[in-house]
Amino acid sequence: MRAQSDLDEQVEVTFPAPATVPAGALIGELASAGALGVGDERMIAFLTAFGRRLLRPALARRHPELGSLGFFLRPSELVRTLESMRGEHVRVPRGLVFHVPPANVDTVFVYSWALSALMGNRNVVRLSRRAGAVATAIVEALREALAEAEPAVRAAVSATQRLVSYGRSADVTAALSAACDLRVVWGGDRTVDEIRRHPLAPHARDLTFPDRSSFAAIKAAAWLDAPRSARVRAAQGFANDAYWFDQAACSSPRTVYWVGEPSGREAALADFTTHLWRVLAERGWGVDAAMAVEKRVATYGLAADGVAGSIAFHGNALANVTLAGDGVTAPGRWLGAGTFVHAGLSSPADLVPLVRRRDQTMTYFGFTRAELEELAQALAGRGVDRIVPVGDALTFHRVWDGVDLPAEFTRLVTVLP
Amino acid sequence: MSVVTSVFTLAEPDREAALVPRLAELTERHRRACEPYRRILDAIGAAPAYERVADFPWLPVRMFKTHELRSVPADQVFRVLVSSGTTGAPSRVHLDREAAAAQPRMLAATLRAVLGGRRLPMLIADTRSVVRDPTLSARGAGVLGMMNLGRDHTFVLDEQGRVDTEAVGGFLRRHGGEPFLIFGFTFMVWLHLRGLGADLSQGTLIHSGGWKRLAEQAVGNAEFRRTLAEECGLTRIHNFYGMVEQIGTIFLEGPDGDGLYCPDFATVVVRDPETWEEAPPGTPGLVEVVSTLPTSYPGHVLLTEDLGVVHGVDDGVWPGKRFSVLGRLPRAEARGCSDVYAQAEPGAVVPGGARAAEPGEAVVGGRGGGRV
Repeated sequence: MRAQSDLDEQVEVTFPAPATVPAGALIGELASAGALGVGDERMIAFLTAFGRRLLRPALARRHPELGSLGFFLRPSELVRTLESMRGEHVRVPRGLVFHVPPANVDTVFVYSWALSALMGNRNVVRLSRRAGAVATAIVEALREALAEAEPAVRAAVSATQRLVSYGRSADVTAALSAACDLRVVWGGDRTVDEIRRHPLAPHARDLTFPDRSSFAAIKAAAWLDAPRSARVRAAQGFANDAYWFDQAACSSPRTVYWVGEPSGREAALADFTTHLWRVLAERGWGVDAAMAVEKRVATYGLAADGVAGSIAFHGNALANVTLAGDGVTAPGRWLGAGTFVHAGLSSPADLVPLVRRRDQTMTYFGFTRAELEELAQALAGRGVDRIVPVGDALTFHRVWDGVDLPAEFTRLVTVLP
Repeated sequence: MSVVTSVFTLAEPDREAALVPRLAELTERHRRACEPYRRILDAIGAAPAYERVADFPWLPVRMFKTHELRSVPADQVFRVLVSSGTTGAPSRVHLDREAAAAQPRMLAATLRAVLGGRRLPMLIADTRSVVRDPTLSARGAGVLGMMNLGRDHTFVLDEQGRVDTEAVGGFLRRHGGEPFLIFGFTFMVWLHLRGLGADLSQGTLIHSGGWKRLAEQAVGNAEFRRTLAEECGLTRIHNFYGMVEQIGTIFLEGPDGDGLYCPDFATVVVRDPETWEEAPPGTPGLVEVVSTLPTSYPGHVLLTEDLGVVHGVDDGVWPGKRFSVLGRLPRAEARGCSDVYAQAEPGAVVPGGARAAEPGEAVVGGRGGGRV
């Protein structure tokens, strides 16, 4: 354990109420906080009240991702999560959970925290100081929900839940790491490596969400055969998947694999591009000049490296890249918001050698369930944790990156008769 | 050297007529000799004929940070200029013997328009240590390059960075009654020249490096010029804009401070960042710099990340476009769950100029890729 002097460093608390406290005092308060149970009624009441605020039309219109979050926190969803946990053992909370969410996705921390709180844990969430407008809206909604809560709910939440921020203080991270029972690290390989330098208590464990990338697979013949309305809907869903988080969310598609005969693939891509472009135009979704330049730098770089064979810009919002040749694989990395690398495959099985461990979500269009299950079997754990329809890439599920979060947020107690 | 006449002579129609065939030649030369450049042009479908300067394909200036782009074989590279960016990887610009010789010559020819043909006594608003540091900064390299154009070099600051009143006094006693040259980076000039309390009325100030640090103090060009005139009698003031990726080419402020002018072998195209078409005068956009000097690397048409505006065409003291640089485009910010910028983030600031600037090498300005 760290010496007490290391714990004098100040931490800014943003929830439940703004305050500045020494890290040691923060840990002390949480250590002595009363216990919650798994699925504690007080926590359910608070989470659903908070979720209702996120679903208010004005807020959800301004930040559509908050609408999804609100949906996730509906009472029926929470109950479903709890019911999925039933089993022969008794579930108990892990204890103190330290969450390190990514600096630039404002909503991930809420999913992580909310599930952990639902499971009855005491939580400290480290918020980035560069957290954006959405994070600010979330903190406001949390505070309002707390202010209007029943006294018993308010007391339980205030005692056990903390959102904090602090500079890049290794001491505070070290102290929280040493004190927690579970550490949840989102936000990329570098963050994971950095945080892992700080030891945990012997019994504690890490849950890490490192860099991931995602792709879409579209059956060309199915696209061309689909009624116009289905193609429009798919283009809308694809736009949501890609553009909500500037295509930088781990589950946003960066590569699009077109599966089928070459002529059909080309026709399908052309039609897809027209529909996607129309969706972007209708919604007025664009990118700013800085992002436009970013995309040029990234795509010209791919061309210079012999990876991109052609680059086509449809306004600044949409850039299509095709690969230079058959032996060239898609880079999979972020190339600027609205930049898609298109590649052709003859059959879904051709995906198998292309999939890597870091691939997370495959969004699909036009495949049968049997084809997808066969693909999942063939992948045999090489990569890909989620295979979901186009449009559902960002839909958060309690099983994320192949991890059952509520299960990870609890321990099992065996009771034998 | 023979007497070179002014390089500020070509009106816009004549300039277009002169530049287009030369740029077409350069584009094809680089296409043949620089494989990555050829691949870029192929991928975006850029092909002749090019009718206007604005028709030529441009490269983002940042490509010189991310890729090695040269149009001469490795064994003909005479010098590699390495900019010191404050963030990220440095730009690398490859010069062969010919390009390395051309750039100081054209820089001198450009400045001759305001300095005259003689080598003037030179006061430098900096410290000597900036050019002595073994890992020469872009600032140091810029000072060294300019020192070619002057004589009796006198530094305003001592080695500790304090104003050396004795040295400045001595310089002014020797040269203060005749034309002399003052050079410095804009913010160094602002910091150290104002309070000198000296009569600099015979001097000509050449300065560069960008306005960011002055803008933070809400000081713009007009106030800069007015204050130096009032406090030092300094009325001949010329800012310039240039970058290591187009070494030797500078865009020089006219005598009245009414904008930057292009030498005959260069021009700018301000582009609307939405349509990428040329923006009309008065409409801000991204500055594309065009120069026929880059012969050994494909840097003849570069899109900078600077915002600028053309004020007028063929309507000032010198012919051609008259423009200003308004500031820098902010870095793109994306949301997302992972560190998408990991590749672009600096591991460490790479000290620039180390391989670039041997004495006599002009690394001008710090804009574009490499900043001061």
